[in-house]
Amino acid sequence: MTSTKTTPTTPTTAPPASSSLPRRTVLATGAAGAAAVGVLGTGVRAADAEESGQTGAAGRGRAGHEVFQHGVASGDPLPRRVVIWTRVTPTPSATPGSGKGKPVTVTWQVAKDARFKKIVRKGRFRTSAGRDHTVKLDAKGLKPGREYHYRFIALGQKSPVGRLRTAPRKRAALDNLRFGVVSCSNLEAGFFTPYRALAARQDLHAILHLGDYLYEYPTGGYGMGQDNVVVRPHDPPHEMVSLEDYRRRHASYKLDPDLQALHARYSWILTWDDHEVTNDQWKAGAENHDESEGDYKKRRARAHRAYDEWMPVRMDGTAALGDGTRFYRRMRFGQLAEVSMLDLRTYRDEQAALPGVDATVSDPSRSITGKKQMAWLKESLTRGDHAPQWKVIGNPVMIAPVTFGDLPNDLIDPINDVTGILPADGAPYNVDQWDGYTADRREVLGHIRDHQVKDVLFVTGDIHSGWACELPLDTSTQPLYGDSYGVEFVCSSVTSNNLKDITGAPQLTPLVETAILANNRHIKYLDFDNHGYSVLDITPERAQMDWYVIGARDDANTPIEWSTSYETIAGTGRVTAVDAPVEA
Amino acid sequence: MCQDAPLTGSPERAARRLEEIRASRRTVLTAAASGLAFSSALGAAAPADAASPRTRKRCYVLVTDGCRPDEIEPTLTPNLHALREGGMWWPRATSMPVMETIPNHVMMMTGVRPDRSGVPANSFYDRELGEIRDMDQPSDIRVKTIIERLNKRGFTTGTVLSKEYLVGVFGERATHRWEPELYIPVSGHAPDLLTYNALTSMVDEFDPHLVFVNLGDIDRVGHTDFTGTNLRLLRQAALLDTDLLVGRFIDGLKSSGAWEHSMVIVLADHSMDWSIPTNVITLQGAMDEDPLLAGNVVIADNGGADLVYWTGPKGKLDKAVKRIQQIAEATPGVLKAWDRRTPWLRLGPESGDVVVFCQAGWRFSDPNPITNNPIPGNHGHPATRSIPFFIGGGHPAVKAGKVFSAHARTVDVAPTVAKFFGMRTPKKRYDGKPRI
Repeated sequence: MTSTKTTPTTPTTAPPASSSLPRRTVLATGAAGAAAVGVLGTGVRAADAEESGQTGAAGRGRAGHEVFQHGVASGDPLPRRVVIWTRVTPTPSATPGSGKGKPVTVTWQVAKDARFKKIVRKGRFRTSAGRDHTVKLDAKGLKPGREYHYRFIALGQKSPVGRLRTAPRKRAALDNLRFGVVSCSNLEAGFFTPYRALAARQDLHAILHLGDYLYEYPTGGYGMGQDNVVVRPHDPPHEMVSLEDYRRRHASYKLDPDLQALHARYSWILTWDDHEVTNDQWKAGAENHDESEGDYKKRRARAHRAYDEWMPVRMDGTAALGDGTRFYRRMRFGQLAEVSMLDLRTYRDEQAALPGVDATVSDPSRSITGKKQMAWLKESLTRGDHAPQWKVIGNPVMIAPVTFGDLPNDLIDPINDVTGILPADGAPYNVDQWDGYTADRREVLGHIRDHQVKDVLFVTGDIHSGWACELPLDTSTQPLYGDSYGVEFVCSSVTSNNLKDITGAPQLTPLVETAILANNRHIKYLDFDNHGYSVLDITPERAQMDWYVIGARDDANTPIEWSTSYETIAGTGRVTAVDAPVEA
Repeated sequence: MCQDAPLTGSPERAARRLEEIRASRRTVLTAAASGLAFSSALGAAAPADAASPRTRKRCYVLVTDGCRPDEIEPTLTPNLHALREGGMWWPRATSMPVMETIPNHVMMMTGVRPDRSGVPANSFYDRELGEIRDMDQPSDIRVKTIIERLNKRGFTTGTVLSKEYLVGVFGERATHRWEPELYIPVSGHAPDLLTYNALTSMVDEFDPHLVFVNLGDIDRVGHTDFTGTNLRLLRQAALLDTDLLVGRFIDGLKSSGAWEHSMVIVLADHSMDWSIPTNVITLQGAMDEDPLLAGNVVIADNGGADLVYWTGPKGKLDKAVKRIQQIAEATPGVLKAWDRRTPWLRLGPESGDVVVFCQAGWRFSDPNPITNNPIPGNHGHPATRSIPFFIGGGHPAVKAGKVFSAHARTVDVAPTVAKFFGMRTPKKRYDGKPRI
């Protein structure tokens, strides 16, 4: 998402990193689910520590320091294999991005049980400073639709225990599929309370992260609220540009206990948006990149390399590094659903310049997907007779059109005043979204219409707000005829600033929300002011999204509450409100 | 497109039909108490229980012709919606190519795809006759239907079909048949009220184990609804009426006690799409202008699909197919031109050499751009593939309130009926799957 970059300042508030410790304590006692997970933070379960001969709470063993301080993670579940990940710190000086430290051979194990009495797969993995001592591999030969435990062993220490779940077999008939849904997690803007809440749940199958997993800005460049309050400082303190920078930034996020807990508890399915490289990136540049920062494509290559090293994902279909960066990919969950994750940054043309957007946004020669990915996306939607029912599209930026056609000037002006992103003529509202590439959107929705594809569900992040939308081809006639070729559910940000944070004037938000809803009848729900997470529950009958919101982002113990729920009944392309969230 | 049905009922046609029936040694004509006439196989004009297997099971296959799945909703179609909610529902169900009435009804009753049944479309080019005709002859179906298989096992069957070409293609297969002699002008079908009366009358009079019913109003009104491509006022009125009749039929089953032994399969043969007058595709002219294709191409118009036949030398077939594809795909409104031999199509040689589908909101009118297909509502193309598909009933085989992700298809009906009646899988297996 477009973010306002400011000059780095001294952090206004910087709670010490150790503030996370009492929070974990609170979680362990206050959230039964979290306690059951037993892998919060870098802590090692007492039984595991005892079993492995680790000494003391820190469990440092013969290495004398924590080898697995960045936790464990898994991702991209397939029926018989899942990516598992960790990072070893062989010596205290072998810090992320340092290039220091000797090669290490790491043992990995996947077991049916948490105590690893029933190990089903194991192996050894050689890592080194050349890959920043990260360990990433495909754990293969697993059984479909099963939950497993996994861990790593190196230098006399055992990692925290993670849990993964394989996808069901191809033709499995599932009663439901349930994802935690998150996006836009800015470490400097607050604690990752939504991650904590999701880690405490026991009812999810995986986590969908829709982009902006981390942010590139220097400390104080994009903090909490108008004053850019730094709740927790980034490392490195400057904007990430070099490979070392990207590695260190990834590492700093991976130290967060809530993030570690959620990675350990569930397998993640991620895509990236812009901030994994830099703000408003497109295929040959970015808003937050200039010549002083060197060649843009080289910078992006460094960012992608660090991402591949540090994230539990497959690029070009493999867990290996350096064999390609194609990130759009599909994961199937029986007959019920297939998740197609998009990459809407690497191949897109440059965003239209404001305010002269009218002609550019609809230029058919411009693309947000790129030609190959567009063909791939269309194939995802029409994959023959045996494709799954729900076509879930992991979509980094909103696809629902948002127009201000007949909005009176006395409403446009205040919206423009507060957001600074509206053109005065009231055409599209955010040219960084699909609204800035309308030919591509028309091609996708037209493809859905031409093939009468049902149950297309876009799940989106980026915009730091919650939305539930129908997807018409013609917004002017949709209220009368009700044509809709899918639905879009948008989760809010984990911590990144939203409207009230930007304006500092929450009283204006209802005005903006009312104006948008009134002029876009296909948009059924909009919450511009809350942070949190969502839970997406899919059954053969319907798909339901629950929105949960948190209180103060800088309060480690902030309350979490259900906000609202919307569903789409199979075959309808319509969105309706639901009275209650799914039971956890 | 379905417009190739007769536009008016004619006394001559009725007389000819009666003559055919009387001439058949295997058919007797029965006047039911309702006043409607039924044709029955010789020796079968009696209630099912008299000479049939001892079972109280009954199966009714109700085809709401041309109904879109999103038209099943609480306000517009409350009875169909209630039936769906109380039974087994497959939201991902589809019609199969070509998304036309005759082939999909044939797929329902045969359980096999057109490359095996021999019936790929409504309208095709009969190479032997050298003319385009409807697939409305009983001999067009090359395989046994579930109707015949049930009959062979001693069950009784009935067909209540509102369209003449369906009456034609299923011929005398069913034990008891309602064969309407007069059709509504323009739409060319028997109205649902008459069809409903025939259904209830047949059940009262003969009580067949299986009744195969086509309710044509929704489709026929959809084809000719000139109230606009979006408003579809007449269509909505037809949906309300048909829903009411289905509701009455279900109520009748419940009040008679038959419900507890019944399985009611409700589905459509295809969906429906509407085009505006300017969105018309005519390929014949472009084909005639091509040196290779001129005089060597015949097109059978099926509304949303054109079947293109190469009539030139066999040795030039591959070259001609490519040329036809190129010309078709360069034409505005064309979605895709497939080589008919593409494996997934499974259409068989009757469907020609190239199968051309239009985009949503378009229609074909071949060979004449004005006269061949003037109606706004069409099907046959992929935009009309989604259908409602659900099973209600009080029989224990029907699981209440279950929704399935599996891809149900029209071709699944025969195996489902077969399983319901405990029939064994035929030696030449079904292409469809039982859904109970």
